[in-house]
Amino acid sequence: MTTSGISRRGALRMFGIGALSVAGAGALGACAPSGASTSSNGGDTKSKDFDFTSWSLNEEAAKPSIEKIIKAWEKAEGSRIRAVSYPYNEYLSQLTLKLGGGETTGAVHLDIAWLAAIAQMGKLAELDSTAMKGGYTNVALESGMYDGKQYGLPWNTGSIGVIANSKLLEKAGIKKHPTTIEEFEGALRELKGLGNGIVPYAAATKVAQLKDIFPWMQTFGCTLMDGDEVTIGDDASIDAVTWYKKLHDEKLIASDVDRFDARALFGQGKAAFYDDAIIGKGVTSAQSKDKTLADAMQPMKRPVLRSGDTPQALLWGGVIAIVKGKGQDAATEFALHTTSDRATTTEYFASRALPPSTTVGLSDPKVAQDTFTTEWTEKITDTATGSPFWQFAQNAQIEEAVAKQVQAVLVGKSKPKDAMKKAGEEVAALIRR
Amino acid sequence: MSTAAPPQKAAPRRERAGGRLSNGAFALLLTAPGIALFATIIVYPLVSALFTGFFKQDLRLPGREFVGLENFAYWLDGDFLTILKQTLVFTVGATIVPFVIGFALALALNSGLKGSGFLRGLFLFPWVIPGVVISFLWMWIFNANYGVLNGILMKAGIIEESISWLGQPGTAMLAVIITKTWASFPWMMVMLLAGLQTVPKELHEAASMDGAGSIRRFFAVTWPQVRGVASIVLLLEFIWNFQHFDTIYVLTGGGPAGSTETFATAVYQTAFKGFDIGRATALGGLWMLLLLILVAVYLRITERKGDAR
Amino acid sequence: MTSTTSTPLSGTERLRPHTTSAGRTSRRRIRKDLLRSRIAAWTAVLVIGAFGMLPIYWLLATALSSPEQTFQFPPKLIPTEITFSNFTALAENDQLIKYLVNSLIVASITAVLSVVVATYMGYSFSKFRYRGRRSLMHLVLASQMFPQAVLLVTLYAVFSSFGLLNTYTALVLSFTTFTMPLCVWMLKGIFDTIPDALLEAASIDGASRWRTLHSIVAPLAAPGMIAAGLFAFVRGWNDFIFAVTLADKEKQTLPPGLVSTYIGEFQTAWPELMAASLVVSIPVVIAFMFLQRYLVGGMTAGSVKS
Repeated sequence: MTTSGISRRGALRMFGIGALSVAGAGALGACAPSGASTSSNGGDTKSKDFDFTSWSLNEEAAKPSIEKIIKAWEKAEGSRIRAVSYPYNEYLSQLTLKLGGGETTGAVHLDIAWLAAIAQMGKLAELDSTAMKGGYTNVALESGMYDGKQYGLPWNTGSIGVIANSKLLEKAGIKKHPTTIEEFEGALRELKGLGNGIVPYAAATKVAQLKDIFPWMQTFGCTLMDGDEVTIGDDASIDAVTWYKKLHDEKLIASDVDRFDARALFGQGKAAFYDDAIIGKGVTSAQSKDKTLADAMQPMKRPVLRSGDTPQALLWGGVIAIVKGKGQDAATEFALHTTSDRATTTEYFASRALPPSTTVGLSDPKVAQDTFTTEWTEKITDTATGSPFWQFAQNAQIEEAVAKQVQAVLVGKSKPKDAMKKAGEEVAALIRR
Repeated sequence: MSTAAPPQKAAPRRERAGGRLSNGAFALLLTAPGIALFATIIVYPLVSALFTGFFKQDLRLPGREFVGLENFAYWLDGDFLTILKQTLVFTVGATIVPFVIGFALALALNSGLKGSGFLRGLFLFPWVIPGVVISFLWMWIFNANYGVLNGILMKAGIIEESISWLGQPGTAMLAVIITKTWASFPWMMVMLLAGLQTVPKELHEAASMDGAGSIRRFFAVTWPQVRGVASIVLLLEFIWNFQHFDTIYVLTGGGPAGSTETFATAVYQTAFKGFDIGRATALGGLWMLLLLILVAVYLRITERKGDAR
Repeated sequence: MTSTTSTPLSGTERLRPHTTSAGRTSRRRIRKDLLRSRIAAWTAVLVIGAFGMLPIYWLLATALSSPEQTFQFPPKLIPTEITFSNFTALAENDQLIKYLVNSLIVASITAVLSVVVATYMGYSFSKFRYRGRRSLMHLVLASQMFPQAVLLVTLYAVFSSFGLLNTYTALVLSFTTFTMPLCVWMLKGIFDTIPDALLEAASIDGASRWRTLHSIVAPLAAPGMIAAGLFAFVRGWNDFIFAVTLADKEKQTLPPGLVSTYIGEFQTAWPELMAASLVVSIPVVIAFMFLQRYLVGGMTAGSVKS
């Protein structure tokens, strides 16, 4: 499709016109369906009442702490906040549909990976001046930016990195965290030697989280993107996938693992390393029988190809964005308060272990005294970067396209070289659309 | 729709006391609410969606660009045949397997076992537990790392290492079909059992006195009686499976490596994860075209058989 | 395939019981036969019963275990530390009750609406002859195979422009897209079994066509209508994608409600999910236990006598 160029495009268009007129194109305009056609609401920006959309508002684990923030705000301001939520996995598509239909207003909780896709719809308010008031850290501010403008107030800023089980490492006689790929591989073999069905590294192998391979590709030297060029398919990316496949074939990583599985394996003491966000500690230790596990969990710098390289990690976090229109002003105030008020962020940290995004919030003793969090920030967040694909609305598709190719390699359907070449082409095609 | 056409022949009875309307008009009046509903919530959305197939359109953004058949070409050059094949494998598999199981159970329960009423009630559970939950339940059972299936198989010494049921192309489709089978066989069983219960006992007795073995009795006595229910059950299940979404979406999301992708999941993922409604509706259009051809062929055949009804 | 639903009087002649006796010699053989079929029946019940019931057992066992136990491998087939906390937690979750009520309301209205509309349509298809009837009938049947996801985008836009989003109406109408065709087909099959002679008799007695339909045909078809309604109910009860898109938290039904409550960003609460699913299914199972004789009677009336 990509090569035959304009003539083919033109021909397809011609055929299409033919087909349409046969189908009675007269009704075309009238029949146009579109999720994005309804005009955006021109409601009262000064209204005290507004909507707050967040996937966490329905989740059993997260609901109470967020509801508390909402209740406190309602009481203080004498306003009403309507809570809206969709399941996490359907959140982006539902939000897109509803924002396009003018259905969503007020404050909107976003994963930083989704910000660009939503910002491109042109319905989010610019928050540059508000953001100045928040005292956010630079990394945090950046996570809420798209195209040089501030669209999201950072709520929690962290990263996805490797967590190690120090007890298991000790058992296998590994004295210090491996720092290079070579050491890492060696450590994995040692751990495998412990037997007992141990999966040394519970790396993601299901499509849903195979994007975890991006930092490894970067570790091998693939930049993912260079300017406008997609670099997936270069030698470094092939090396990374070949390496992943090797780990898979030697059963140093397991198939059919996503984040949930990885946590379960880690919780059972069956995995020594896995990738997770900082919040993973609480979740994993809570579902483990071993009550000492929490103490054994350590953030680890991702091993590098040659010693001296910068360890790779993916920036991760959530922001609150504001939809232009009804309740805009109050929602902005609410978002600012929720993300930067010291007492609020400290309490939120205490109940959910999500690190705050402000300098003041981070230096609060309750946060600063948590060694896991401070170590995490030093070892992982400090060198974390956002994905170059986030700027594209097609981010989810891009990740999935690459993930599917990597998976094809893992299950033996495809060779690393062919798969990465194909992945690169698919990503390039997605970006061009 | 050409329903406004005049009646062809009168209903097989005299119609005096009906009043002013002709039979045909009365018949049409009866269909009117149905047609109105059908037209607004099915036909209109479908037709208008189909037009989108000729455009490049992003779900998130207003405006679109006419691209002719490009979206259709994208599928036909790409995964169309694979998806079609997988859809058929799933549809046929998830229709036949629960049918066989449901039928076997119906036959067994019909042979006068004690407590069959209770059992029948118990089997209603799989039918009314919401579909998504069933999918999560089986996802949990099939889980490669802590699933109960691997646990049992290992304990029994059948396997030595965990099998990644949902992580391999071969077993993933099997797992999806098994899950759908579990959700479907109970209602098929209930229907078939009902059919079986209408077979008079004396027929069986008479047949066996005539010296017919159980297999012969099945085909001579039982089957002709339940053929009607059986074909309804099969037809409905086939139709439902063809557009079935939940099970596959939850269990595998169409993976691994696209090996369980069907029309339903592909359309959904393209439209709602990729925001590309042009391509999504183009695939929907191809699917419907295929269906219409099938229906037309089916009509041709039945019409030729002179089945006037 | 469909001809079986409609062709009248095809198999009945074959069914006349044999009245001749085959003599005493075969009695013993019959008894042996009976024993053999008993054994076969028990085997089938056990094997299929295991397939059918073990997952339910596992659902229950999971619902009764603590989160720590849930993630053990190899799993404990019989939970050692039983906890009811997953069930007691449900009582405090009023949102869940809201989902349940929504589901019951929406699925019931869907069922009633579908059955009413389908009764008229099915009757028309069954008892009248006009041009386009067959095409329409098949279009209705085939429409069940159309991709939901394609409908979804336009339906969303339609409901949005009528201000119907987040209402029961939107859910009911969208569910009707797949329940109505089903009901039309089932009910047509049932009307086919009502002999024309009966309608003729009514007409000779001076009953109007409306009266014939409402007071003679409908009562006869009532079990079938209930059966069709039950099927429509289950389909509506099960739907996920329409429900998640067209309704918000207030009007949300169980499938998306359960998913959004227990399948979160960071964790899947298996035990709680299983406990909740079990509890919300019980009322429907009980209702179905009482209603299933209609399911059986209604459906077979329409199809067996083909």
